[in-house]
Amino acid sequence: MAHLELKELGVHFGGLRAVDGLNLSLKFGELRCLLGPNGAGKSTTLDLICGKTLPTAGRVVFDDRDITGLKEYQRARCGIGRKFQTPAVFRDLTVCENLEVARSQHPGVLSALGVFRSRVRGRMAEVLELVELTGELHTRAGNLSHGQTQWLEIAMLLMQDSRLILFDEPTAGMTIQETHKTAGIFNALKGSHTMIVVEHDMGFVREIAETVTVMDMGTLLAEGSIADVENDPAVREAYLANGGDDA
Amino acid sequence: MNQNFRFDCVGYALFAALVLLAVPWYLSFDGFELNTFARYLALGMVAMALALSWGYAGILNLGQAATFGIGAYIMAMHLKLGASAANPGGLPDFMGWTNVETLPWFWVPFHSLTVTLLAGVLLPAAVAGVIGTFMFRGRITGVFVAIITLALLVAIQLVFVEYQMYTGGQNGLTGLAPLVLAGWTADPYSTAFYYFVAGCLLVATAACVALTRSKVGLILRAIKENPDRVRFFGYHVSSFETVVFCISAMIAGWAGMLYVLVLEFASPTYMGVPFSLAIVIWCAVGGRNSLVAAALGGIVVNILEGRLSDLFVEGWTLFLGVTFILVVLFMPDGLFGVFRRIATRLHERLRRHRNSTGKALPTGAGAVPARAGEQGGQ
Repeated sequence: MAHLELKELGVHFGGLRAVDGLNLSLKFGELRCLLGPNGAGKSTTLDLICGKTLPTAGRVVFDDRDITGLKEYQRARCGIGRKFQTPAVFRDLTVCENLEVARSQHPGVLSALGVFRSRVRGRMAEVLELVELTGELHTRAGNLSHGQTQWLEIAMLLMQDSRLILFDEPTAGMTIQETHKTAGIFNALKGSHTMIVVEHDMGFVREIAETVTVMDMGTLLAEGSIADVENDPAVREAYLANGGDDA
Repeated sequence: MNQNFRFDCVGYALFAALVLLAVPWYLSFDGFELNTFARYLALGMVAMALALSWGYAGILNLGQAATFGIGAYIMAMHLKLGASAANPGGLPDFMGWTNVETLPWFWVPFHSLTVTLLAGVLLPAAVAGVIGTFMFRGRITGVFVAIITLALLVAIQLVFVEYQMYTGGQNGLTGLAPLVLAGWTADPYSTAFYYFVAGCLLVATAACVALTRSKVGLILRAIKENPDRVRFFGYHVSSFETVVFCISAMIAGWAGMLYVLVLEFASPTYMGVPFSLAIVIWCAVGGRNSLVAAALGGIVVNILEGRLSDLFVEGWTLFLGVTFILVVLFMPDGLFGVFRRIATRLHERLRRHRNSTGKALPTGAGAVPARAGEQGGQ
């Protein structure tokens, strides 16, 4: 049974068809890497799934429910989380406060009125340990290094604990060791969380991917294991036509 | 979070001590002098209400005086009815002059004190709720919120001035009866009355501090920084914004009711643009990021106004304007920001001092220089 299904999904901005008749189906607990040259519509696809952009055609079905018309906060409540390309932590808030915002299982105003303390126990302690930010609990997020900021954002997604998580270039700006560690986290999330990862770092993709989907010009170009896709002549041509800088 | 909480508590305790002990003692518990201060406290309260929406949620409400004025008029209507009981039909005097025959329906409920007290906070909240729902659902932010609230303020004031037969028009509502609350007659020139106003201010401030310390306050700060990111965590941003906007309006309405009790009349100038902008200035001078500081800002600026406007009748407004410009240019977080920076710097210097004295000591186990350093710091 599909956890997430995109059916003939499309969006155009003015004359540009950013995504055009895209079909995609993900099983629960699957990790899918989304590849493609610049401008292929990868980030836009994530925008369409999380509700940042509304489609002009097609449908998004999540957990057997048509969520095409839902607003972004409603989709988040359905269990869809998103990591953006640029780090989007709250810079004026401390690490602890950022994680408390991310712990959004009860997002109503009334339930938020009753919460006065962030308990750094259980899940939050685990997550902090995992991303090595335990010592920075009361540091303003704006004062963290770039790498730590990336980790904080991943930690926030772990706190949010969405069943479907969309990652847009999660390892951008990370060192090799950090990238490797991120791969470990992603592999640990497999099975319990469905994930879509947009990534250019092929080394990272090899570490985590089972199935990859290649997009070009807003449409699906190829789908399969990494080896299959790399040998696909259409994929080679798409990358070569775009300068072949990403593969 | 905990350190900030302690900071808040200390600030609040000092504020309470100032309002409850220092001021009355300084004025030797003189009712007439305290009446002036009760007025400053009511104004401090509305500045505090603005800090709640402006400082914490980034909603610059230039129409804060509208909700303040609505609260003021509601209280004044009740007191006016009390003073008009002996008139034919219980009709307020100004209605007789403008040929109104019977008491309008919307005046009738204000015979009741309970209705008055409830309406004084709930009606401003309802007005803010309607406007807020439209604004925040439409994702209107920043300067546009300021423009809309300012326009609303002007419109509401115009209604109160135009419908003279119902509101007293330009003259406002004067000749009011004193408020009788559970058998206690509020004499605005008594020490007890001052404590009543101070108690209201402290209760409202405590409630708002609690609100900002709860997760709601946290989400509001997050919204102020990046509303889109907050949405992707599943929070309904506009309900948070609307709620804080309503609570701010409630406090403003409450302050308006107190203000009428202090001054014993209601005037459409309470809803004037100059007054509304003055609230913003008090808030900015005190520091919009702290509720207590904003309240103090309102109180201090008004004390200065009281002192200086005696000396320079016209020049005072100029002084206020220059102060505002200087604050915006050099102290974007107001006096609170300056105070906070000094406190942090002192704290750091103290720590560095400890460390250096610790290092300067001759060799020894780690614990020894540390303890010596502590003594040096004292």
